[in-house]
Amino acid sequence: MNSTSAAKILLDVNRIGISFGGLKAVQEFSLHLPQGGLYGLIGPNGAGKTTVFNLLTGVYQADTGAIQLSGGNLFGKKPHQITAAGIARTFQNIRLFPSLSVLDNVRLAGQLHNRHGLWHTVLRSRRYHTAEKNLCDKASELLEVFDLQDRAHELASNLSYGHQRKLEIIRALATDPSVLLLDEPAAGLNPQEKKLLAGSIRDIRDRFGVAVLLIEHDMGLVMDICERIVVLDHGITICEGTPKEVQNDPQVITAYLGSGVPGEG
Amino acid sequence: MSDFTQTLITAIAIGSLYALIALGYTMVYGILKFINFAHSDIVVLGAWSSYTFSNWLLKLIGVETKGMTTPPAIWVAVVVLVLSMAFCGVVGFTIERLAYRPLRRAPRLNVLITAIGVSLLLQNVGQLDQVFGASPQKMPQLLPAAELASFTFGEGESARKVVIGLVDVMIFVTASSLMLLMQYLVFHTKQGVAMRAVSYNTDTAALMGIPVDRVVSITFVLGSVLAAAAGFLYVMKYPSLNQPAHTIWVLLGLKAFVAAVIGGIGNVRGAVLGGFVIAFVEQFGAFYISTNYRDVYVFVMLILILLVRPGGLLGVTTREKV
Amino acid sequence: MTQSANRSGTVERTGTAVLPWGANGFFGMMPIIVGIGFAVLLHFVLPKSIGPYYSRIVTDVGIAIILAVSLNIVNGLTGQFSIGHAGFMTLGGYVAAFVTYYVSSILWESTTRHGGFLGSGEWLFLFSCIIGGIVTAIAGYVVGLPSLRLRGDYLAIVTLGFGEIIRVILQQTGKVIDPEAVKSATWSQIIPPPVGGAVGFDGVPKYTNLFWVYTIMAITLVVAYRLKSSSVGRAMISVREDEIAAQAMGVNISREKVRSFVIAAFFAGVGGGLYAHEPGVIISPNDAGFQRSFDYVIMTVLGGRGSISGVVIAAAILTALPEFLRDFAEYRLIVYALLLIIMMLVRPQGLLGIHEIWNLRRKPKSPPIAEEVK
Repeated sequence: MNSTSAAKILLDVNRIGISFGGLKAVQEFSLHLPQGGLYGLIGPNGAGKTTVFNLLTGVYQADTGAIQLSGGNLFGKKPHQITAAGIARTFQNIRLFPSLSVLDNVRLAGQLHNRHGLWHTVLRSRRYHTAEKNLCDKASELLEVFDLQDRAHELASNLSYGHQRKLEIIRALATDPSVLLLDEPAAGLNPQEKKLLAGSIRDIRDRFGVAVLLIEHDMGLVMDICERIVVLDHGITICEGTPKEVQNDPQVITAYLGSGVPGEG
Repeated sequence: MSDFTQTLITAIAIGSLYALIALGYTMVYGILKFINFAHSDIVVLGAWSSYTFSNWLLKLIGVETKGMTTPPAIWVAVVVLVLSMAFCGVVGFTIERLAYRPLRRAPRLNVLITAIGVSLLLQNVGQLDQVFGASPQKMPQLLPAAELASFTFGEGESARKVVIGLVDVMIFVTASSLMLLMQYLVFHTKQGVAMRAVSYNTDTAALMGIPVDRVVSITFVLGSVLAAAAGFLYVMKYPSLNQPAHTIWVLLGLKAFVAAVIGGIGNVRGAVLGGFVIAFVEQFGAFYISTNYRDVYVFVMLILILLVRPGGLLGVTTREKV
Repeated sequence: MTQSANRSGTVERTGTAVLPWGANGFFGMMPIIVGIGFAVLLHFVLPKSIGPYYSRIVTDVGIAIILAVSLNIVNGLTGQFSIGHAGFMTLGGYVAAFVTYYVSSILWESTTRHGGFLGSGEWLFLFSCIIGGIVTAIAGYVVGLPSLRLRGDYLAIVTLGFGEIIRVILQQTGKVIDPEAVKSATWSQIIPPPVGGAVGFDGVPKYTNLFWVYTIMAITLVVAYRLKSSSVGRAMISVREDEIAAQAMGVNISREKVRSFVIAAFFAGVGGGLYAHEPGVIISPNDAGFQRSFDYVIMTVLGGRGSISGVVIAAAILTALPEFLRDFAEYRLIVYALLLIIMMLVRPQGLLGIHEIWNLRRKPKSPPIAEEVK
């Protein structure tokens, strides 16, 4: 798993870019994420990291470039089509459905691959019952894996901050992704929780067989778990390599200058 | 040719009324990001309070309104206009204070629903016998029905006369001067800078020391004052005054709102542009296609423009930040 | 709409488990059968015991419930803001009335009631209501399309404009043709459609009765509840809560929006059919105006946007109450307006929020999931 060259490229992003008005938010961004890879995306505030996520998930449409997932084109696709194709994400500022229960948040994501039509719903056919039961089983199982089953019937908005972050990840996994994009999963967590998170990101990768791309400001965490790291500054990729290479890259150090040397997080 | 010119004159007069009302919608939307549904009812209030004030004033100076043939001195019209503008300003201030301010942090839909509530309230309180009553009234004639100019097109039997009435000119002049004043206020005064700052980002504006609540209040008062002027001018042109909850008022307000949206809501110049666009579509459509569907043209226009340019003619489309 | 989260921490359960009426396999039809039984009971018992005046109120309540609950699918579940529901209702009413009137004229050369309870006339009436619903659903699709491009308040204006357009167009329609003259009608009488113009469509056979109103109401309620408590409803709610997150979870928000418009419009059209055939009613273009639309909006807001039982209660109260307070008719809308404003200030989520009345007393404890699965 750890050697990039051996594994098959899953998510293949080539030179995508977008500008807002005159501002080139992201330019020529490329990424070759192998199956089961665990990559990091870092950069100072406003470097365009979240914009990259938005481009990959179709929230923004890239102006140029190509995005492929296992050979299938994703460029120009709508967000829900991209999710269906196998890219799931979490949000930097948590975006759960506050008035749905924890279980329903997960079920909503799970129903993507568990469809039954409108007529089955209205008539409550056998197919409806089977589908809803499968969905419920699957959601419950996921909650159990992450130890949230006790809170299943609580409103998502009533969870603690840490649990909400966790639920975001569970919800993303419920869409059966092959690539998981995590947008600052450690933001707002205490050191204890961060340590647990680092372990569970690796576990998620192994257990669900997903490739993970991670935006994170906590350098300790990124350097610890990521196999390769892409560094963005002003929308431009200034460096790509292993944690070690990145840490010693002069450009990266310049980009971060004033906010401390990366690696000391 | 004569028909065209006459339609053009009406369209300009009506357009300046729409623009005046649209300004109120657009300023409130620009700052608070919600449709002030009750704005059209302020126009109604402006019209009806003009009626009440002029009856009161005429009685005071001893003019019999019944069978009045010659209009009173011009200052009566000016005083009535000023009085109803002041009155509506106060009402606008009160509404913002009591109904909208407590909802400053509430979801936008809630504020919209409140606005519908305020609108229904104003309409139906106005319909009470103790207030304006539920039957139409005739506005006393305050302006002379003079023709400022008339042209004749064609010759002999086909000759047609085109009339530019004093009322049309008064509407255009009053409305344009108010709009120019507003333009000056928004773009060349400290108050205008504050308004634009609040519109751009309320929280940051507050951090910069701008008294947001006061700016919002002033915006409401300004919008209401303009609406009152529009109401006054409207009854000068169409003296048969419909009861406060009549559909015609709602349509007037709706069209003005459509004007604001077409121009790009939140954009002061857009509102003026939109007002004229709507009036032209409506008047020329009514004249050249069919007068029965005049309201339909406006809404078809709205849907077309929104589908092509969701932000309106002068507006910018904003992206939601993720 | 974060305000709809209630403090105690109980939640609306969606899914197969907790249903007020059990629904499995064949029993999936049970609630509708029970509803029809209830409607039969009402039909034969009520008019005799409380007289025609109060029966009429009960009929009006039923129609209002159909309209308010269907509007709630768009405004409550999917979180769009439609204020043109009366436009859909009136369109459906006119289409249904057109079908009944002219088919009766051709078949039976008269537009008086044909056949008794469940007789041929009533089946024609049901058929025309469904046609009305279908035509309205198509209109709902067309109106739903702008909702893909427009945010909440712009959409409100478009729907309001839709109602006004329907009103204006109906005013331009032609005179109603007498039943005897239908077969010899000329083209100039048929175009524009002969449905009465500004004065309204007079002479529509009066088939609407408690049985049909409450049967259709039962179907509306069951469909609305089943939508809400299923994957479809969850997807709709997710659009209301957060469109971007919903998309990221694979929800096709465009489809959900248009779908909710179509479903809501269908029931509004059927409800309009019931209204057009109600004894003592002459459906007219003014029914499409915004005032009636606001009535339904108020019912959904007061009941709780998303709560079916809350909206039913609000629709029943707001329809019945004015009838008993006729002396204060001019104050009715003032009271409504104040209710709206005060409600937004003190309880913006409405009477029941998104909850159903039978969920209110549930304790905030969390039962093990296994229980729910079975």
